[in-house]
Amino acid sequence: MAGKASNAPDEALRVEVRGENLLAVCFTAMASPCETLLSSTVDAAALELGTLVAQEAWRVEKKFSRYRNDSVTAWIHENRGTRIEVDEETASLIDFASQCFDLSDGLFDITSGVLRYAWKFDGSDRIPEAAAIRHLLPLVGFEKLEWQSPRLLLPAGMELDFGGIGKEYAVDRAYDLLAARRSAPFLVNFGGDLRANRSPSHGPWQVGIERPDTDRTAKMILDLEHGALATSGDSRRYLLKDGVRYGHILDPRTGWPVWHAPRSVTVAASSCTEAGLLSTLALLHGARAREYLEEQGVRYWLLQ
Amino acid sequence: MQLKPKAPRPTPANARRRLIAASCALLGAAARSQQANVAPADSGLLEDWSVDSALAYYHEDGRILAIEPVVNLAKVFADGQSLNFNGTFDSLSGSSPNGALTSHTAQTFASPSGKAKHAYTTAPGQLPVDPNYQDTRIAVGGNWTLPFTRVDQLSVGAKVSDEHDFFSVTVNASIAHDFNEKNTTLSFGISNEFDSLSPIGGAPVPGSDYALSQKNAGKTKDGVGALIGVTQVMTRNWLTEFNVSVDRFKGYLNDPYKITSIIDSAGNTTGYEFESRPDQRTRKSAYWENRVGWNQQLSTALSLRYMTDDWGVRSDTAQLHLRWTLSNRDRYIEPTLRWYRQTAADFYTPFILSATVPTTGFESSDSRLGAFHALTYGLKYAQKLPGLGSRAESEFSVRAEYYQQTFNERIATPAALQGLDLYPGLKAILVQVGWRF
Repeated sequence: MAGKASNAPDEALRVEVRGENLLAVCFTAMASPCETLLSSTVDAAALELGTLVAQEAWRVEKKFSRYRNDSVTAWIHENRGTRIEVDEETASLIDFASQCFDLSDGLFDITSGVLRYAWKFDGSDRIPEAAAIRHLLPLVGFEKLEWQSPRLLLPAGMELDFGGIGKEYAVDRAYDLLAARRSAPFLVNFGGDLRANRSPSHGPWQVGIERPDTDRTAKMILDLEHGALATSGDSRRYLLKDGVRYGHILDPRTGWPVWHAPRSVTVAASSCTEAGLLSTLALLHGARAREYLEEQGVRYWLLQ
Repeated sequence: MQLKPKAPRPTPANARRRLIAASCALLGAAARSQQANVAPADSGLLEDWSVDSALAYYHEDGRILAIEPVVNLAKVFADGQSLNFNGTFDSLSGSSPNGALTSHTAQTFASPSGKAKHAYTTAPGQLPVDPNYQDTRIAVGGNWTLPFTRVDQLSVGAKVSDEHDFFSVTVNASIAHDFNEKNTTLSFGISNEFDSLSPIGGAPVPGSDYALSQKNAGKTKDGVGALIGVTQVMTRNWLTEFNVSVDRFKGYLNDPYKITSIIDSAGNTTGYEFESRPDQRTRKSAYWENRVGWNQQLSTALSLRYMTDDWGVRSDTAQLHLRWTLSNRDRYIEPTLRWYRQTAADFYTPFILSATVPTTGFESSDSRLGAFHALTYGLKYAQKLPGLGSRAESEFSVRAEYYQQTFNERIATPAALQGLDLYPGLKAILVQVGWRF
């Protein structure tokens, strides 16, 4: 577990009373506001459960963050070109990424992170040179890894990025921790990716999804009884040149943004990992996002 | 970029299944790897059920004593359905007024059972009460609520109550519809009750002479009721509820153990007759409740009820209920004040003057049909405690209520009876200890 003292400023918990019998234990992880909602009025008990969730979020962040030099991701990057053996949890995430890569015909690819060296989505009009992208593409492609769980060989120059699945995975992990300890209603929400065990007695959870097409305070309210919701979008990060908006969803096969991707896709599924994967894949289908979601037969909310 | 050759593209349904399988594999592996540090959840029979249990002690000053354990089990399922069951066991003992008038002379009554050893004598100036009152009651009920759309829910329930001289079955069903973004709920409910009476010694012929003891075998009564209500969220912190209901009972509506004194103009008791009530009663009532959360500490509920029936009873009830959460949020107190007033039934009379013939042909001296007002003062204290096993919390509570009834109307009384307390009110206390977990 992440020691509380190690980076205290980030690891702070705040308890908020949201209703007569509703508490929120709030914290920040993975650069997102996170909270655990509990049907409870007992601060001590709620804080204990909320702490458990927060510690799990911080643990997953610390272990897989590409921004930390003590993470497993950093260790994998340091050992490029060498055959290494990863721990069970990392192996299961890489296995999952591998299956997603196959199932999506290469659209979902945890090696695509290197493309960000060419693309800086800062709202400017600095579109990268096509040559720069061509130069990076050889470093993208999950099939270039040697992966035989738990042994991994990451070729020189390549990177792994668990950012696309880490947050949803952390939600599910935290959910399981809580579900093993508590049968009363709760909801785990990490920056809009969330999962609930069941409705509170007064009715379904009211979940606010940010509407990226308007100001950030405007929200679409969904009723969630149980299960998970995950949202993917390219709302805030883009480049604009000659009136063309280049969203930050990149097709790992071309190195260029996916055209006509929806602004935001929210998907309901039984686990947050599954919901997150479906919403990400929908975005990667660009103009075909709605068609893709219909084919999957899931409940979804799509904003163009 | 070239992709390496792969298996044929999966069909969408197949792809979705494989995607679910992949997610499950990931999360299943995660669950396995964290199993070691997960505390085992309790897996008892009552797991997932919330249990509300209480033991009540009720004592009417000089009369009935009741001990009443109550248990209520509730479970909300993941799909929103809910089930709840409740059970009550009452044990009553003590003295119950038989309806006869206090007199200057001693009065001797036969027991309803007819057994000589249960005959009793009331001293001069004392309210005649049957000292052998003893009853036990078992009541069980269940309710099932089923949301069948996002905004509609159906609820059905049944209740069975059994005493040695009374058996009752009630069934009910209601439907509720939410609209206006769930800020408004309309509900409609119906209920049907079937009662069977088998009084000790038989059911007296209404209005017959007590001394003749004309009794029949068991009797029945049944009732139907309907309710229509609306609940409206006014603001974030204010909820208002209004409903109207009507019910109608038919059958043997008498209390088989109640008699009325017949007195002459000198005030002497010359005899008794069994009470005689109409065999139908229709009640209509309106109810309005406002619940307001003032802040995180204080919420109030104010309710008003008006009831009228075709027996001439009209009643008003006003109740103010406060819930005050103490600073650290794991304790609260709930003071309650209830005011009640009713007018007498048209045929209510504390006694029958032998010179008069009741004009309606109906009569009852049952004080519950008289004109009175009553005040109830209540206080509850609850302490929340950590839950057991996987439960979030438990709650221990103590509730006490004091009830005081005062009669309002007095009818012209023969001079000889003056000085006797013909309208003794009633004082009662209730103490309840509860544990919810």
